Amino acid sequence: MIVADKKPIEEIIDYVKDYQSILVLGCNECVTVCEVGGKKEVGLLASALRMHFLQQGGEVNIGERTLERQCDHEYLEEIRDNIDHYEAVVSIACGVGVQFTAEKYQTKPVYPGVNTLFMGANEARGVWSERCQGCGQCILAISGGICPVSRCAKRILNGPCGGSTAGKCEISKDIPCGWQLIIDRLKALGRMDDYEKINPIKNWSTERAGGPRKVIREDLKL
Amino acid sequence: MAEVTSIAGEDGNFEIQIIQKPRYIDMEKCTACGLCAEKCPKKVKDPYNEGIGLRKAAYVKYPQAVPLKYVIDKENCIYFVKGKCRACEKFCPNKAINFLDQPKNLTLKVGSVVLATGSRPYDPSGLEDLYQYRSNPNVLTSLEFERLLSASGPTQGHLKRLSDGKEPKKIAWFQCIGSRDTDHCGNGYCSSVCCMYAIKDAMMAKEHAKGELDCAIFNMDIRTFGKDYEKYYLRARDKAGVRFIKARVHSFDEIAGERDLHIRYADENGQTQEEFFDLVILSVGLQVPESSRDLARKLGVELDGYGFVKTPTFAPIETSRPGVYACGVLQGPKDIPGSVTEASAAACLAGGKLALARNTCTRILDLPEEIDVSSEEPRIGVYVCNCGINIAGVVDVAAAEEFARSLPNVVFARQNLFSCSQDSLDSMKESIREHRLNRIVVAACTPKTHEGMFMDTIQGCGLNKYLLEMANIRNQDSWVHSDNPREATDKARELIRMAVSRAGTLNQLQEKVITVNQRAVVIGGGVAGMNAALGLADQGYEVVLVEKEKQLGGMADRLTFTIEGDDVQAYLKGLVERVTTHPLIQVLTQALVVGFTGFQGNFTTELLVGPGPYQRKINHGVTLIATGASEYQPREYLYGQNEKVMTQVDLARHLKEKGAQDFNQVAMIQCVGSRNEENPNCSRICCQNAIKNALKIKNLNPEAEVFIFYRDIRTYGLLETYYKEAREKGVVFFRFDPERPPQVEQVGEDLVVNFRDPILDRNMQVKVDLLALSAGMVANDTEELASIVKLARTAEGYFMEAHVKLRPVDMATEGIFICGSAHSPKLMNETIAQAQAAASRATTFLSRKELTLSAVTAQVNADLCAACLICVRSCPYGVPKINTDGFSVIDEALCHGCGICAAECPAKAIELNWYEDDQLLCKIDTLLEGAL
Repeated sequence: MIVADKKPIEEIIDYVKDYQSILVLGCNECVTVCEVGGKKEVGLLASALRMHFLQQGGEVNIGERTLERQCDHEYLEEIRDNIDHYEAVVSIACGVGVQFTAEKYQTKPVYPGVNTLFMGANEARGVWSERCQGCGQCILAISGGICPVSRCAKRILNGPCGGSTAGKCEISKDIPCGWQLIIDRLKALGRMDDYEKINPIKNWSTERAGGPRKVIREDLKL
Repeated sequence: MAEVTSIAGEDGNFEIQIIQKPRYIDMEKCTACGLCAEKCPKKVKDPYNEGIGLRKAAYVKYPQAVPLKYVIDKENCIYFVKGKCRACEKFCPNKAINFLDQPKNLTLKVGSVVLATGSRPYDPSGLEDLYQYRSNPNVLTSLEFERLLSASGPTQGHLKRLSDGKEPKKIAWFQCIGSRDTDHCGNGYCSSVCCMYAIKDAMMAKEHAKGELDCAIFNMDIRTFGKDYEKYYLRARDKAGVRFIKARVHSFDEIAGERDLHIRYADENGQTQEEFFDLVILSVGLQVPESSRDLARKLGVELDGYGFVKTPTFAPIETSRPGVYACGVLQGPKDIPGSVTEASAAACLAGGKLALARNTCTRILDLPEEIDVSSEEPRIGVYVCNCGINIAGVVDVAAAEEFARSLPNVVFARQNLFSCSQDSLDSMKESIREHRLNRIVVAACTPKTHEGMFMDTIQGCGLNKYLLEMANIRNQDSWVHSDNPREATDKARELIRMAVSRAGTLNQLQEKVITVNQRAVVIGGGVAGMNAALGLADQGYEVVLVEKEKQLGGMADRLTFTIEGDDVQAYLKGLVERVTTHPLIQVLTQALVVGFTGFQGNFTTELLVGPGPYQRKINHGVTLIATGASEYQPREYLYGQNEKVMTQVDLARHLKEKGAQDFNQVAMIQCVGSRNEENPNCSRICCQNAIKNALKIKNLNPEAEVFIFYRDIRTYGLLETYYKEAREKGVVFFRFDPERPPQVEQVGEDLVVNFRDPILDRNMQVKVDLLALSAGMVANDTEELASIVKLARTAEGYFMEAHVKLRPVDMATEGIFICGSAHSPKLMNETIAQAQAAASRATTFLSRKELTLSAVTAQVNADLCAACLICVRSCPYGVPKINTDGFSVIDEALCHGCGICAAECPAKAIELNWYEDDQLLCKIDTLLEGAL
């Protein structure tokens, strides 16, 4: 799941302070599940903005809408009929949703209402942590199902480095050493022989380093 | 105000003579408006506030009293004393005062009798020369202190001294005042509750204090033996900084002027210590009042030397007179959960005798058919309650009524003198019919107490009960703004305006009626499970008793005798016999629960039954959990490595089979596997277990020396007498600190215990023939069962009841009950009482053929649901599930209607019936209308 976190309300207010009508646009996917951009949060942000503008003495129309997904044309089409009632949109979907909305409605300013962080898992209510960096060439098969790219601070492929102490990474005592996790897991699987193998240099061109990426599936195209 | 004068007849057929003293206020007419007390000119020291506050001669004991009816205190009433006054009579709006009221004699015919007369706190006046309770206002009993801490008490909960109003900075508690004291007061028992309440009061005092407050509890032993009580003690000591001092202070001096208290005590090393305190709280014990002893004598019920009702170990609720049962402190000192449990147990036994007569006195309410108002425009009726001084004393009720009439959709508004009085309810019904009202607003007091009554009323007119809304203009208005009538009236208007706006949004809701399968499943065939099964079967209900082992008996199978000397095996044999031959009990041994579905009244349990094994499915209405606990298998003190080291259970068996002739020196170590990091709780039973075995050794072999190494001796209640007996017989007790426990070593053939004696402050050594470890209790492994049945357990694996004090045998899931040591470690008599209690609570379900469920449940809109699992995780009852179609479903039969999921749902896919967003937000919008 894409994990996002709240933006300070002051920042959002600063973006939209000069508008007279604003649509707060939520998304019923990842950001709903990580409790930052669903229908409930749309209501809360809209209320907060209303209160702010009331205090300022202004009369600003704040609309509320939550789409099934902001990363699909069809769902974004659902607001075409009334988007012109608003001067601006605050999207509290992930960065993908904000951009796709902006692309769709060329003349409408669309502002981000959340900070999009990473692809991660929900460890417990209120706790999310990173699991994947989308490197484009998955190597989980060799590392016992634990990713050195996202879990090791240095993204090294043959670890651990000298900064691993008592299972923790040198950058913080709260961050487990990714390679310690890999070794523990390989031990549990009885596959420590694999650990002895040297992993070759990874092709990073499939990662962000290779520029903006795109997937075209000819088999699926209509 | 009623007193039993005699009981004739026998079990199943008693005739009771009762004398009811005059109240001088007609119960039928009194609405508890409080005018009589307000107008009464006579002020009296309030016994409810322990005499440290005042009340009137016309009074109600406390605001939550049941029945909430006033009474005139004849001893103090000016009219009764001097022949003149009658102010209350003049002002009572309902003509309820009756000075001619006479005592009434009543005769009742009943089948069973339950004694629950309770206790009185010990009066420390007799210890005046030591503790100056009467002469120094800075010496209080614990009950007086509780009133000082209470928001409804004489200081509204502000912590201050009664002598000079000063806020105390140092408070001392003296434990065991009137308990464990055969010298001054003759009460040789432990009152069981004082350690916990002293700790609680110290914690509360720290919360109430404005600045730093030093709390010191002087004690002999801290007896926090109840479920999770030890954790509370540790929190008080380690987090809140409450000091616990091992000393029984003999007496103290008063400092002239300030009246502070100068305390000198000897610490464990014999050094004299001095401290000054602003307040001393005497932790007074529980005592059976003389009136209860009189009653018992009249009833022919046997008492022990302290006045507690004598009950057999294996029938802890039964008195010496058949058909008469005892519960609560009258039976022996105990805390609230214990008392509530015994009360249910008494109901079980008393009810068992009356099972044949069940439902013979039922009256059926005839309700008119429900009118469908869903297509009608709201026609709202508003009833504004005057409530005597309670509301009208502050709020201008006429103005509020007038305002209500002006509101949208309101077609009728009226003032009631007392909305809850029968005549008001009747006239409400008339006006509802006459004006064809379809939504009702009652502006009165709290829905907590009165909503049900008004719902019944509107149902009586054919309206769905959920078409009611209340505005609380008493508790939330007149009571809290009594100093500002004008604004209180404004607030009443706003509250009514909000209520009217919500009333307009209300819909009819249908309550689901489910049938109850009148069969019980009891899981666990130990003493708890078997007693629960018998309790239910004796009430006439079919029971399936599920035991995972090959035979019934559980932990009791390993036990020999109780501390009272009763033979456990003989009891067990009789119990198994009764269970296996009972026509309504079906016993399944070698049976494992592998599946569990359903809800209250309609459960299905899937079993794998040996030796086949074959599968069985049982449909049943209630479930009782009695999976028990076992003795901890020690890893400490050479257990399992040296044959001279055994547990107390092993030792008891050894004593029975081989006697004690081979023992010359015996050591026992307490708290093995309890009160440590792994298991922070006290196992409750081990202190008495050690003393039981020590006494047995002394009995079999008086020459043998027994040394018991302990941290606190927790022989609560009447068990204290055995502790005393053990000391008298020469059993030697050495206290140890957990940081410095005894060390056990094997030296050649010898087993040696090294320890430090805190009084001599020296290291000592003893060579022993036997080391008995008081191994604690460990809950039986129920991880799988808990996950199948979806039941909450504590960190230590004991099942968690719905409410520690008020619902001690109910689980949070309706229709599931808990008893025995699966709940927490306990003795056999306590286990039996709890099993009977669980059976009793289960009977409240089984005795009904149908259950009507509240319509206030959560509803999921599947289209909006993002299957995020937040409702699944946040529901305290584990009700929401994500179904195979990928959205959340909430079973209305399981939903408790708490609304947490509706509030938490990030997709706004869940609404709580009757509390839908629109129905709540419209109140806020109405309130803010015009303000924004």
